[in-house]
Amino acid sequence: MSSPAILGLPSPRDEAWRWSDLSALPALAEASPTGGVIDTSGFWLNLGGPRLLFVDGRLDAGLSDPGPITCGATGVASAHALARLATGDGWALRLGADHAAAGPVEIVHVATGGASHLPALIELADDAQASVVETFVGDGWANRLLSIRLGRSARLMRSARLLQASGFVSLRDEAELAEGASLIATVLGAGGQGTRIDAAVTLAAPGAFAEYGGALLARDDQRHDAAVAVRHAAPNGTSRQLWRAVADDRAAASIAARVEVARDAQKTDGEQSLRGLLLRRTATINLKPELEIFADDVKCAHGATVGELDARALFYLESRGLPPAQAKALLTRAFVADALGRIGEEAVREAFAADAEAWLEATL
Amino acid sequence: MLTISNLHAETAGKAILKGLSLTINAGEIHAIMGPNGAGKSTLGYTLAGRPGYEVTDGSVTFLGEDLLEKAPHERAAAGLFLGFQYPVEIPGVSNVQFLRTALNAQRRLRGQAELSGGEFLKVARAQADALGLNMDMLKRPVNVGFSGGEKKRNEMVQMGIIDPRLAILDETDSGLDIDALRTVGDGINRIMRAPDKAVLLITHYQRLLDYVKPDFVHVLADGRIVRSGGAELALELEREGYAETVREQAA
Ligand SMILES: Nc1ncnc2c1ncn2[C@@H]1O[C@H](COP(=O)(O)OP(=O)(O)OP(=O)(O)O)[C@@H](O)[C@H]1O
Ligand SMILES: [Mg+2]
Repeated sequence: MSSPAILGLPSPRDEAWRWSDLSALPALAEASPTGGVIDTSGFWLNLGGPRLLFVDGRLDAGLSDPGPITCGATGVASAHALARLATGDGWALRLGADHAAAGPVEIVHVATGGASHLPALIELADDAQASVVETFVGDGWANRLLSIRLGRSARLMRSARLLQASGFVSLRDEAELAEGASLIATVLGAGGQGTRIDAAVTLAAPGAFAEYGGALLARDDQRHDAAVAVRHAAPNGTSRQLWRAVADDRAAASIAARVEVARDAQKTDGEQSLRGLLLRRTATINLKPELEIFADDVKCAHGATVGELDARALFYLESRGLPPAQAKALLTRAFVADALGRIGEEAVREAFAADAEAWLEATL
Repeated sequence: MLTISNLHAETAGKAILKGLSLTINAGEIHAIMGPNGAGKSTLGYTLAGRPGYEVTDGSVTFLGEDLLEKAPHERAAAGLFLGFQYPVEIPGVSNVQFLRTALNAQRRLRGQAELSGGEFLKVARAQADALGLNMDMLKRPVNVGFSGGEKKRNEMVQMGIIDPRLAILDETDSGLDIDALRTVGDGINRIMRAPDKAVLLITHYQRLLDYVKPDFVHVLADGRIVRSGGAELALELEREGYAETVREQAA
């Protein structure tokens, strides 16, 4: 895979990128992977389904068991400022009508420095269903494009956890949902890398359901940044964007969540719940819920609040014997729990909760 | 067990406790009564170490140690329990999770073995049953959606599970119906009436004292104990109000 030149990165003057810090990317794009060995054994959930290991964007066939997933040209491309770099070979999960993958698909992406740009496709025909869990570890820049096409009543559960020690992870999801299709996407940003999560989800036919949300946990000088747009193009659709952001030290976590309701997308039910928790006043949280509604019969609720841990609750817990760090961890865990609770499989949900827990223990 | 000498404390820059002295020995039950705003809750918060309550003078010794130099969780581990006048709601944290974490944190600090999930549930169930609180409620988030009386009962369940040496109960009786008052009174006697334990009851009413008979009754007014007596003092105050006592003191 060649490393494309990093020209024309968006600048903070660009409204959609105002909270991003992409300054590390040019150097990462120039750097070469060290190819060092990273032990991934702790990152497999062993769910019994297909599994793929990508090291610096290359499939490690020996440690993979791709099942129905094919690797090679995907035909996927995007004009998105970062995802446009993801042009080479990638992976594709295509399931025919009524098919289901044998258990959740697990993909671990290891970065060893440098940059990797990887396109991917998930295409589920009518009534097919799949669950895909991606885990990002290591150092360097992992740049990903995922195109999601869901047929009628197809169901996809997509979960991603960003656990790199350093570097940057950028995700770009572009999803189109047919009638009655359902997408539930959950992203956990923990670890030490910078993050940019971009998604454009279109409910293209009536009665589709989309959830896109997650938890961003930021510390030190980290920047986590999510920009998600859900577009209701047809009637009777439902969408949920539930995000929780936690920031400590001088870190910044930012979430821009947008709902667009087209003129004939009547009876749309859209909900955005964006909440931020500042663990220190030197940290920053930016929340930007946006609504653009052209239909008249819709129900769209949105809330965005930023706060600190409740001092009364902290004292109550401490008065019962909890040391301050444990009291903070308990309240912060409760704050984040909603956002990770949407994950369907218990083992995946618990793994994400454990990652959040590890982050809290290391931070508080 | 507890010796408070000449305690001065302020909150939000305002002096509230103004030279309060009180000694509580093991095996004793004390009641503190007094007009609204006298500083009763402030005393409880100051002893429990609530941030924002600053001690400007005086000392407090608890079980032979300086209480005021300890952090709130260390005071709890040392055996101090504060029953809150207004228990706090904590969405997203279940009672069971909270109390198990709390109890085990205390045990760890005391060098005791931690309780397993099963052992803890057994203790919790016994206390919940004794206080007439449904075990399902213990699985719900702390105090969220609890009625006023249920919150107070929950404070007593917590006290039963934690099993402290000294309990300061701030208006645990307010908001309780007649039956709950008896249940809570029985609970206090069962959990805390022991030769090596003590209770400081903050209350406005005689009713609770019918169930939990105090050895001493004190009147707190304007940041000081202005009068002390036996159980009969509470009856007298109920009859005559605070005016006389407070006026005598001012004179
Ligand atoms: N944060 C605060 N800021 C300013 N004044 C305060 C604060 N907290 C307490 N006070 C004041 O301190 C005084 C004592 O309050 P405290 O709650 O201790 O009274 P109390 O004796 O418990 O009253 P009650 O019987 O009504 O519960 C009151 O005048 C109250 O207004
Ligand atoms: Mg009070």
